[in-house]
Amino acid sequence: MLQRREESKMAEKIKLYDDAKCTACRGCQLACKQWNGLKAGQTRNTGNYQNPPSLQPNTYMFIHFQDYVDEGGNVKWLFRKEACMHCTDAACVTVCPSGALYYNKEFKTVGLNREKCIGCKECMMACPFAVPCYDAATEKIYKCDMCESRISNGLDPACVKACPTGALKWGDKDAMLKTAADRVKELGGNAAIYGDKFVGGTHMMYVLKEKADVYEGIKKDPRVPFSVTLWKSWLKPLSLLAAGGVIAGSFLHYVIHGPKRPDPEDNNIPNEKAEGGK
Amino acid sequence: MRRGLIKATSAYERFVHWLLAISCLLLCLTGLGMMFHSLNFISVIMGGMKAMKNIHNILGLVFGVSLVLAIVMWWREAGIFVLPEDWEWVKTAGGYLWHVDKVPEVGKYNPGQKMFFLTVALFGAVMFFTGIIMWFPLSFPVELVRWMYPLHALGFVIIFAFFFVHLYLGTIGSPGSLPAMLSGWVERAWLVKQHPKWLKEMEHEGKLEVYGEEKKPAADKENV
Repeated sequence: MLQRREESKMAEKIKLYDDAKCTACRGCQLACKQWNGLKAGQTRNTGNYQNPPSLQPNTYMFIHFQDYVDEGGNVKWLFRKEACMHCTDAACVTVCPSGALYYNKEFKTVGLNREKCIGCKECMMACPFAVPCYDAATEKIYKCDMCESRISNGLDPACVKACPTGALKWGDKDAMLKTAADRVKELGGNAAIYGDKFVGGTHMMYVLKEKADVYEGIKKDPRVPFSVTLWKSWLKPLSLLAAGGVIAGSFLHYVIHGPKRPDPEDNNIPNEKAEGGK
Repeated sequence: MRRGLIKATSAYERFVHWLLAISCLLLCLTGLGMMFHSLNFISVIMGGMKAMKNIHNILGLVFGVSLVLAIVMWWREAGIFVLPEDWEWVKTAGGYLWHVDKVPEVGKYNPGQKMFFLTVALFGAVMFFTGIIMWFPLSFPVELVRWMYPLHALGFVIIFAFFFVHLYLGTIGSPGSLPAMLSGWVERAWLVKQHPKWLKEMEHEGKLEVYGEEKKPAADKENV
């Protein structure tokens, strides 16, 4: 393991999901649960193979199943892996008050130190992909951390390790982008890369065989909410600036104009000599 | 207590003022500790970040209650501008900023204090309601909750800045003011300078409470 760590060096890495290669075996789902020690929840059959139905505190990823009828009237499966996208410009990291969410220094993925999580749910509100899940029992947030304990030791994330078809890959960003571009060319048609053009680029990207628009539940224009920018980039520094300005202004007022002192003569106290105002 | 001091505030007024002030200050402190990672250390004396979050939320409720008490108590005196004299005062900036030969006489609260009261009332309410929604974000639509954070931050920008104005003018910027919120007894000279109209009205109505003096015959009520 130590040897492999040296090989990995300090390089930004991404996970690439190729839906044309995915058979929806859900081996990745199981591997994710196993590595992260997550229990399976009781779910209901909704007439769909997709299970569990959504991200949960104990489900960091799942494969989305979709029946898709293309322009030619052909019915196809569309699969899509849903999990944390590991944004380069991650709104969750920006808003996290305790530093529980952070960027992995080596790979630039988004890690989560649950010891520090205070359960404020600000990340849930900020995330453009609605990924972080809150568990009321532990009062903490749960999400994919790209198997930080594995990748820091030179291993692939558990989901990638388990993938039998090569639909999931983990590697240097540049190499993965090239692989993705080659795959898009190979697939032709509407195939495209998803993830490279928003939030500074995600650290989980898709190669989609169809136009992104046709995938159910996909975010078409994910971005850091403007409210987050307004709050953290403008109002937060402004609060100190305004207070500092007022303190400086008060000081200047005191030394230049001087305080507003009462006239001691006005005290007019019977049987007692007037003392000066404070 | 010296003879000749004049009672400017009731015990209830001072109690509500300090309940509001202390809860507000502790909210600023705990809020700052969550707003800036570099100030996370504030949570050390609160029992950690999570405990500080809980303290912040509960203090918010205390602040909300004291804000209601303060608004009920002060809105008549401090929440309504009396024109045109208040406007005249504003035009001279109360004589605080440049030399003014004759500053228009003001009553119990000058327009500056009224502005402070209205700001605290308005943005205090904003802080309370945005805070409640931020406390239970899963019970509201995400799009709504997202805007509560910058609104909460805006309220903080304004209240925090105004707080320092209030602190300065309540202490060294206007000597003689502080006792009004400590013992409640102030110097006559300070009233002549700061609130001459109120002093005259109270004397005229015989309600003025002067330490060491019998109340004037007409005075049968406390000056609340």
